[in-house]
Amino acid sequence: MFIDVLIVGIMVGAIYTLVTIGYSMVYGMLKLMNFAHGDVYIFGTLLCYTLLAQAHLPPLLGILIAALAGGILASMVEFFAYRRLRAAQHRMISMITALGAAYVIQNASELKWGSQVLPFPSLFPSQLVTVLGHQISVTPIITLAIAVFFIVAFNLFLNHHKMGKAILCVSQDIPTSSLMGIPINRIISMVYFLGGMMGVVGGILYSASYNAISLGMGFRGTIVAFTAAVIGGIGSMSGTLIGGMILGISENLISVYVSSSYRDSIMFLVLIVILLIKPTGIMGKVEQDKL
Amino acid sequence: MTLRIKKNRLLLYAGLLACIIVLPFVVRDPYFIGMVNFIIIYSILCLGLNLILGYTGLLSLGHAAFYGIGAYATAILMTKHGFSFLPSLIVSGLLALFFGFLLGLPTRKVRGDYFCLLTIAFGEIFRLVTQAWISFTGGAMGIVGIPIPEVLGWKIQTEIDFYFLGLSLLGFTYGTLHLLTESKFGRAFVAIREDELAASVMGINTPMYKILTFSIGSLYAGIAGSYLAVYQTTVTPSNFRLEESCLMIIMVIVGGMGNLAATFLGVSVMAVAIEFFRPVPEYRLLIIGLIMILVLLFRPQGLLGAAAFKD
Repeated sequence: MFIDVLIVGIMVGAIYTLVTIGYSMVYGMLKLMNFAHGDVYIFGTLLCYTLLAQAHLPPLLGILIAALAGGILASMVEFFAYRRLRAAQHRMISMITALGAAYVIQNASELKWGSQVLPFPSLFPSQLVTVLGHQISVTPIITLAIAVFFIVAFNLFLNHHKMGKAILCVSQDIPTSSLMGIPINRIISMVYFLGGMMGVVGGILYSASYNAISLGMGFRGTIVAFTAAVIGGIGSMSGTLIGGMILGISENLISVYVSSSYRDSIMFLVLIVILLIKPTGIMGKVEQDKL
Repeated sequence: MTLRIKKNRLLLYAGLLACIIVLPFVVRDPYFIGMVNFIIIYSILCLGLNLILGYTGLLSLGHAAFYGIGAYATAILMTKHGFSFLPSLIVSGLLALFFGFLLGLPTRKVRGDYFCLLTIAFGEIFRLVTQAWISFTGGAMGIVGIPIPEVLGWKIQTEIDFYFLGLSLLGFTYGTLHLLTESKFGRAFVAIREDELAASVMGINTPMYKILTFSIGSLYAGIAGSYLAVYQTTVTPSNFRLEESCLMIIMVIVGGMGNLAATFLGVSVMAVAIEFFRPVPEYRLLIIGLIMILVLLFRPQGLLGAAAFKD
C-alpha cells in the first residue's frame, strides 16, 4: 500500500516538475509571476481532450498539436500582456495583467468546454507488472519515464544547445545579454513557448493517469507550479525537481492517510511555512535588494 | 480668500451629503438601491485596500479572506450564539484586524511578490477551510437564515434601511481613514511608499507601519463582511474567492492608488461596467480580465492616482 502511494507520488512529482520548469524559467528570467501559466496548460490539455476523445486523432499527433497550441498561446500572452510592461516601473503591474490574462483564457476555455469534469482517455495500457514482489500498474511507470525524459532533454537543451545557453544568459542579466547580441524578445518568447509546451505535456500526463480533466485544475496548476518553484528555489533546475517531488509525494501521502478535502489547504500551508522560514527555497540563492 | 474657498468647500460637502440622504427617497427603484448598496460594500472594502496598496505598496490578493472572516464571524455569532448586530460587527472587525496583524507580521521578512503569494495562500486556505469544515461553517452551502439586524431599536429590513446602515459604516470608514492619512501616520505611510529606504533612514519604523496599515486595512474588510452577512442573510465560501480580491484590486487601481476619494470613482466605474455586462454572465471574468490588462497597459496610475507602482 505504502509503496503504491509512493510510486504514484513520484509520478505526480515528476509531472509537477514538468509543469513547473517553464514557470520557474520565466520567473528566474523576468521576475514575473506568470499567473496565466496554469490556464495556458489547462487550455492545451482541454484541446488535447477534444482532439483525442472527439476527433479521434492518433494520440501522438493530438498531443503534439495540443502542446504546440499551448506554446503558441503562452507566447501570445507574453506578447500582448507582458512585453509592453517589461520596462514599466514596477513588476506588480505585470503581475496584475498576468492575472487578467489568466481570467481571459480561463473564461474563453469555459465558454468552449464548460467547467465540469470531463473524462480524459487513458493513453497507456492498464497492465500490472511485478516489481520487487509488488503488483504495480504500468501507467505510473510509463508516465514517470516520459516526464523524466522531458526533464532530461530540457536540461541538455539548456546546457548544450546555443539557444539554451542564450536562455541562461538572459536569465542572468538582460541588458548585458542584449549587448552581447542576444535577441532578447525572441529568447523570452521562446522560453514562454517551451514553458507552455511542457506545461501542456505535464497536464496531459496528469489527466491521462487520473482519467479526468476540469477547468478548475488551471488555477491550482499555477499555484502548484509556484509552490514547487519556491520550495526548490526559483530559477534552479535541480530545485524544481526537488520541489515538484516534495509536493507530489506529500500530496499523495496526505490524501491517503489524512484527508483529501484538506489536501490543498495543506499544500498552501506548506507554501506559507516555507515562505516564512526560507523564502529563497532549498536550492535558491539569497537576492540582495538593489539600492 | 482661503476662508472663502473653505466656505465653498463646506457648502459643496453639505450639498453632497444632502443629495446622498435624499437619494433613496427620490429614486425608489429597489434594483437601483441594491446596486448602490453593492457600491457601498465595495467602497468600504476598497478604502481599506487602498490604505494597504496605495499607502504602503503591499499587493494583497487575500483581501476577500478578511471580508469573509468578518462575514462568517457575524453569521456564526448571530445564528448560533444569539448575538445582536452591533456586538457582532465589533467582533467581526476586531477578528479581521487580528488576522490582518498575523498576516502582516511576515512583511518584515517576506517581500514583494512573495508576500503577494502569501496573501493568495491565506485567501485560498480560508476558502478551502470554510468549504471543508462543515460542522462550523456549513461547508459549500454556507450559513443561511441570518436574523434581521437591529441597531438601538431600529429594525433594518428594507433596501433603504440597509442603504443608511451601509452609508453610516462607509462614513465611519472614510472619516477614520481620512483622519489617519492626514495625521503623522499618514505622512509616514506616504514616505514609505515614496522611498522605503529613505523613510527608514529618517527614523520611520517601516516594519511597524507596514503591519499597522495591513491590520487596519483588514479591519474595514471585516466590517464590510459583517454588513454583507446581514444584508444577504446568507454567507457562502463562493462570496470570498480570489476573483473577489482581484476585483477589489482592480477597483482601487482604476480609481487611483493612494487617493481615498478616488476609490469611490473606481468602485462606481467597475460596478457600472459589471452591471452593464450582467446580461452575459458567462463573459464576466473575460471582461474583468480585459479591463485589468487594458487599464494597466494604458493608465497604470488609475484615473485619479496619487502614485503609480514603482521600484
